[in-house]
Amino acid sequence: MSGLRELQAAVGRSVLGQDEPSLDDVIEGDGLAPAARLQIYRHHYETSLAEALKSIYPAVCRLVDERFFAFAAQAYIKSSPPRRVCLHEYGADFAEFLAGFPPCRELVYLPDVARLEQLINAALHSPVEEALGTEAFLDVAVGDYPRLVFRLLASLRYLDSSWPVDRLWLAQQAGQEGAVDLDEGGCLLEIRQRGEEVVFRRLDAPEFILRRALLAGQTLESAAAAALVADPTFDLAMALRRLLGEGLVAGFSLAPTDSI
Amino acid sequence: MTHPPAEAARKAGIGLRGPHLAAVVASPPAVGFLEVHPENYMGGGPALGALERLRRDRPISLHGVGLSLGGTDGIDTGHLDRLAALVDRLAPFLVSEHLSWSGVGGVYLNDLLPLPYTEEALEVMVRHIDQVQTRLGRPILVENPSSYLRYRHSTIEEPAFLAELTWRTGCGLLCDINNIYVSGCNLGFDPLAYLAELSVAPIGEFHLAGHSINEVDGQEIRIDDHGSAVAEPVWALYRAALGRFGARPTLIEWDSRLPDLSVLLGEAAKADAVGVAKLREAGHVGAS
Repeated sequence: MSGLRELQAAVGRSVLGQDEPSLDDVIEGDGLAPAARLQIYRHHYETSLAEALKSIYPAVCRLVDERFFAFAAQAYIKSSPPRRVCLHEYGADFAEFLAGFPPCRELVYLPDVARLEQLINAALHSPVEEALGTEAFLDVAVGDYPRLVFRLLASLRYLDSSWPVDRLWLAQQAGQEGAVDLDEGGCLLEIRQRGEEVVFRRLDAPEFILRRALLAGQTLESAAAAALVADPTFDLAMALRRLLGEGLVAGFSLAPTDSI
Repeated sequence: MTHPPAEAARKAGIGLRGPHLAAVVASPPAVGFLEVHPENYMGGGPALGALERLRRDRPISLHGVGLSLGGTDGIDTGHLDRLAALVDRLAPFLVSEHLSWSGVGGVYLNDLLPLPYTEEALEVMVRHIDQVQTRLGRPILVENPSSYLRYRHSTIEEPAFLAELTWRTGCGLLCDINNIYVSGCNLGFDPLAYLAELSVAPIGEFHLAGHSINEVDGQEIRIDDHGSAVAEPVWALYRAALGRFGARPTLIEWDSRLPDLSVLLGEAAKADAVGVAKLREAGHVGAS
């Protein structure tokens, strides 16, 4: 083993679970097999990442129980080693992993519970921003309203689920997940910071479509058109009042006139 | 090292972890300072706002775990930029990192992995400490690791390696008393002899923490898990460190099996009492 780079690559492979006999000649045993010493680091890697996942996905853990969660986490960690340093950013695709994890096949709602928890976690670690009031729009000409592009709060997230994941999440908090009727249908959720915490609530379809489109950077005209397709009676003026009144707009700009 | 804020010089601090944040905000404890892992605050969010409010009346220290100063991948400049932004925002009185590496080939191994103590590793550490200090515009402290293995091809003793780092980069040292004890037990060196080999001037902070004892293939291995009270031999080593180095900002770290906040505060009070008694005995402070 000639250099530091090669050594770190070998130790890295060992931490990730491979046997690395080449390290036997490099590590002083001091009464133990070098592999037994490396195992201490491998154990820490696996258990600390499993703990990180559990802290981000506590409802998933409670829904499947600790042992199953540890089993799923171990498989996920093996398939997706972290690429980023901040552990609260680890496991962002855990929901997709669960969706394709054969032992979870029966738990069809589980990936969406994980998606909800991932969005809660992302909202919790988003910058805190000041919301704009209506006075910020006084100088915008009415004729320019269609070109408005809102910058919504950084913590805002939207989830369209085929399952009542909000009720599942709340029920498992109370230890009553069996009380939720999975056949009651899906939900459209808005997740955001409020004060020191993150909250979520249901929206009806046109409001959800409008806000999700605005969050994606669509112009007001384009987002409103999508909402009106869902409900031709949708009251856009009231919806905008609610958007501002709930403190969800952090900034705005006007799209170029030729872009709409 | 520059002088620490008066509170941090007078009283021990505690490592502030997420589950204790609300209790600390509701009733800020009378500790010398609060130390946090910057990685937990890099996204922003309400927790960072709370820390900014706490910072108004308590010195803050940032103790990084993710720079991988000894890593051959090089410093992740995006991560360093995020650290620099936090340093600007929180104006901590100390910024520290570790003598270790944490990733290779773009994979983050979530640990403070041991380096061989060679000229090559020294050059990597020096280059990266220089890069970090230049970006932050201030010196950092580098912490001695807790180790479970050593490499046969190491040519430099750990205290001498740390001394070289301080001479070549101007960084200070974070002397983790528990790590010295844990590594000494695991690797068979005398913790007191290790202390005696460290230079006095660069020491900018002490860390105290608990460890656990595991049996591996019939051999006792001490694991630096920060999951219990500081062990008695570590308090004894702390007394010896105070005798050799004098007072420095001292931190109680507790990361796993987190107890009630009052338990941490009890450990901080014990560190204060040990410090006052030892420094009086050593003639570093007068009776008052």
